[in-house]
Amino acid sequence: MDDSVHSRTRAQAAPGTQTLNFTLNGEPRTLEVAPNAVLLDVLREQIGLGGTKKGCDHGQCGACTVHVDGQSMNSCLRLAVMCEGQHVTTVEGLARDGELHPIQQNFLECDAYQCGYCTPGQMMSATALLNDERVGTDDASVKEAMSGNICRCGAYKNIVEAIQKSRQQLSYDATQKEGTA
Amino acid sequence: MNDMTQPNVVGQRTPRIDGEFKLTGHAGYTGELHADNMLYGYPVSATIANGKLESLELDEARAMPGVVDIFHHGHFETLHRSPNSMAHGDMVNEVRLPFEDERIYYHGQYVALVVAETFEQARAAAQRVIARYTKMSGATAGLLQTDAEGELQESSGTSRGDPEAAFGGAEVKVDSTYQIAAESHLQMEMHATLAEWHDDGQRLVVHESTQGVFFQRNAMARVFGLAQENLEVISHYIGSGFGNKLFMWPHAVATTVAARMTGRPVKVVLPRQQDMSSGGNRPASRQRIRLGADRSGKLTSVIHDSTTETSLVHQYVDGCGSATPSFYACDNVSTSQRVLEVNHGTPCPMRAPGEVSGIFALETAMDELAVELDMDPVELRLKNNAELDPASGLPWSSKHLDECLTSAAKRFGWENRNPAVGSMRDGDEIIGYGMASCTWSAGRQPCEARVELRADGSLFAACGTQDIGTGTYTIVAQAVAELTGADLSRIEVKLGETSLPAGPLSGGSMATATVLPAVAAAVRDALDAIKEVAIGSGGAFEGSDADSLSAEAGCLTDGNRRVSFEEVLETSKLSSVNGQGSAAPGNEQNEYAFRSFGAHFVEIRIDPEISRVRVARVVSSIDIGRAINPPTARNQVEGGIVMGVGMGLLEKLDYDPRDARLINANVADYIVPTHADAPEIDVELLDYPDFKHNEFGGRGVGEIGLTGVAPAIANAIYHATGKRYRDLPITIEDLLAAD
Repeated sequence: MDDSVHSRTRAQAAPGTQTLNFTLNGEPRTLEVAPNAVLLDVLREQIGLGGTKKGCDHGQCGACTVHVDGQSMNSCLRLAVMCEGQHVTTVEGLARDGELHPIQQNFLECDAYQCGYCTPGQMMSATALLNDERVGTDDASVKEAMSGNICRCGAYKNIVEAIQKSRQQLSYDATQKEGTA
Repeated sequence: MNDMTQPNVVGQRTPRIDGEFKLTGHAGYTGELHADNMLYGYPVSATIANGKLESLELDEARAMPGVVDIFHHGHFETLHRSPNSMAHGDMVNEVRLPFEDERIYYHGQYVALVVAETFEQARAAAQRVIARYTKMSGATAGLLQTDAEGELQESSGTSRGDPEAAFGGAEVKVDSTYQIAAESHLQMEMHATLAEWHDDGQRLVVHESTQGVFFQRNAMARVFGLAQENLEVISHYIGSGFGNKLFMWPHAVATTVAARMTGRPVKVVLPRQQDMSSGGNRPASRQRIRLGADRSGKLTSVIHDSTTETSLVHQYVDGCGSATPSFYACDNVSTSQRVLEVNHGTPCPMRAPGEVSGIFALETAMDELAVELDMDPVELRLKNNAELDPASGLPWSSKHLDECLTSAAKRFGWENRNPAVGSMRDGDEIIGYGMASCTWSAGRQPCEARVELRADGSLFAACGTQDIGTGTYTIVAQAVAELTGADLSRIEVKLGETSLPAGPLSGGSMATATVLPAVAAAVRDALDAIKEVAIGSGGAFEGSDADSLSAEAGCLTDGNRRVSFEEVLETSKLSSVNGQGSAAPGNEQNEYAFRSFGAHFVEIRIDPEISRVRVARVVSSIDIGRAINPPTARNQVEGGIVMGVGMGLLEKLDYDPRDARLINANVADYIVPTHADAPEIDVELLDYPDFKHNEFGGRGVGEIGLTGVAPAIANAIYHATGKRYRDLPITIEDLLAAD
């Protein structure tokens, strides 16, 4: 790749910006953002975290899903300035200390993707629903809850398999933790 | 040479080697790349489908913060005419260059490109550009909105025997017309370009989300008058394409001109609406099929006449009849193809282009024939199975359609089907069983590759093809591992750059069979080179005969002693050895016909109270030769089935019949299958390596899974309702109208 092209970028203050203080993947951040800047674009263009994807830019495909204070949200439908004081988690915040999150490991092993473009959004929705007691644990409930995340490659079967495998592992981990506590 | 009849890595489940990059967000798709001092472009597109751009009011937009320039007709570089040749490797998706004149040929055609310091500024200014048009009457809203016949494409037709006479005299006949709405690829990553000029405009680097870096480089070299070696096109990760990223589009040219005229790198990611209106579509089709058969079900005549759409600025022929001459054993077969110009954005190949539409018509017609004959549709297909390729008269390299039909039927439980219409119920739901065969040609192209064995213990393979999500990175690594015995974790694969050895388009289900033999040749060349090093003076096997050495487990061995590649290189003070390889189809092309076949069986369930159809279950058996990486190959077929559910029941680009404007260019109004729409899927990949096609035995798998799904659904709906639906998509409105 040409050296001058990279996936990190400069912080740039344009005229008429506002100061935004929020926590991104556990780290406090202060940024100057345009009032019309959407969280998705700030993540991708201003901060240089390209893992959160733009698939439709108006809340229809789910590729831009992030967690805001633990809730899954379409980052394309949220102005960046609305995140003042909030905790935002992106796909870059899923792995910890170089270890893949169980959902990432199971997406890898179940081949729960093809092109990989919708994948961060699928995983962010999946990790949110695994913590959401309102969503049933059966395949049909998972499919219903995941239907805001379109995968045009059609890897749905493997995605559901990866989610259900993660559920088993996460509940196993939780049981183990309780046992050792 | 390795024994490919019993490989160790090829044919084995291998998690994607690029998987971790995709799963952690670090893959780097085109739209998320940045260049120093980069500007953002945002196109402005026409809001009419037929007319003339009279004026652009730009003062307000130009005064907006951060705006650097606005390009349009009259303020744009003069370019060389676009090339468009498959043979020369410079085919484009739209030959009309952006802003070429003031005529508006389709809704969504670019009229300006705003370039600004930030994305928000470019978007805001683009929304302030005011375009004034003169609308012209007579826009053609689409093939299915007219009775126009279109231009006959003399070169696209085929004929054998006397199909008209045979049809006239047939004991049993079907004569039906089928219509399929235009579809959107709706690949998740929109078209994106990042263009950067270097060395005072002498050298160009373009990052493009493309299925063909070499095609785009060759086309851009012609348009910009550059030597090919001064132009690089890069595409490491592609948020898929399904055909609409095969060839260059005008947005890439506009972005590159903007970069030259502003003297700064420019990035454009098409908004979804523009991607759908101006970034390709599968054209609508109208097909008439006439089948003649004798009472026993033997086909005596197949006549397949098709018409598809193209735009007013580019000729695209979506050849619907291309599979038909090879599909069934029948002495009298003809196909014809017409093309009608309409006021739409230019159509282009979309997954299984042409054939998937043709197979919908043919396989629905076969179901109609089975009903006429009162014969089981599986039996009808087995009876007409072609033992030789009836189009060429050549034997098939490998064909197991009969096994696909019987195996899938058995797993599906076809024997439980009561053929009487509407006879199968489960509670309030009516159940329908339907089936269809599927097929896709097995092509292969010339290809080059390079392989390095390195003293740091790594192995490196490079080819200028792409991985669009099919798993090409991984199968290249598998091929290297197979032939060297080296562990997969040591193998690095580089694709998607025109600085690499020339590789093929990622399309037509051809990449696997094209790339792997070239990689194998490069591995063998590298192994020859390291053997020469090893037997040379001071080498690890000094004085040995090169023929006595072989590779295993990432080492050279003479049968007694193993020395790792890195040790061989270090012993001789070399950093690496390099292997070049090339491969191309050969004389086998004159001896055999190459095509994959399979069968889909579908269960649909209809809730008659609300006229809702759901695809509950799909059971498929597909013969693709050997699956190089079974999970990724299976994933391709499963994904094709999901897309087939969309084609059958959901997908339709809606053009306003009054003025040809595209009215559903967004992901909410253009409906594709979601998780909840995905049926239960059971795919079997038969394992008959096709060594006549290539030494790895794989024929490619990207398209075949989609073919045959929509007719199997339509045939199942007939079984449930007794209504024959010949137009796609089959919507809830269609079912309501039938009541």
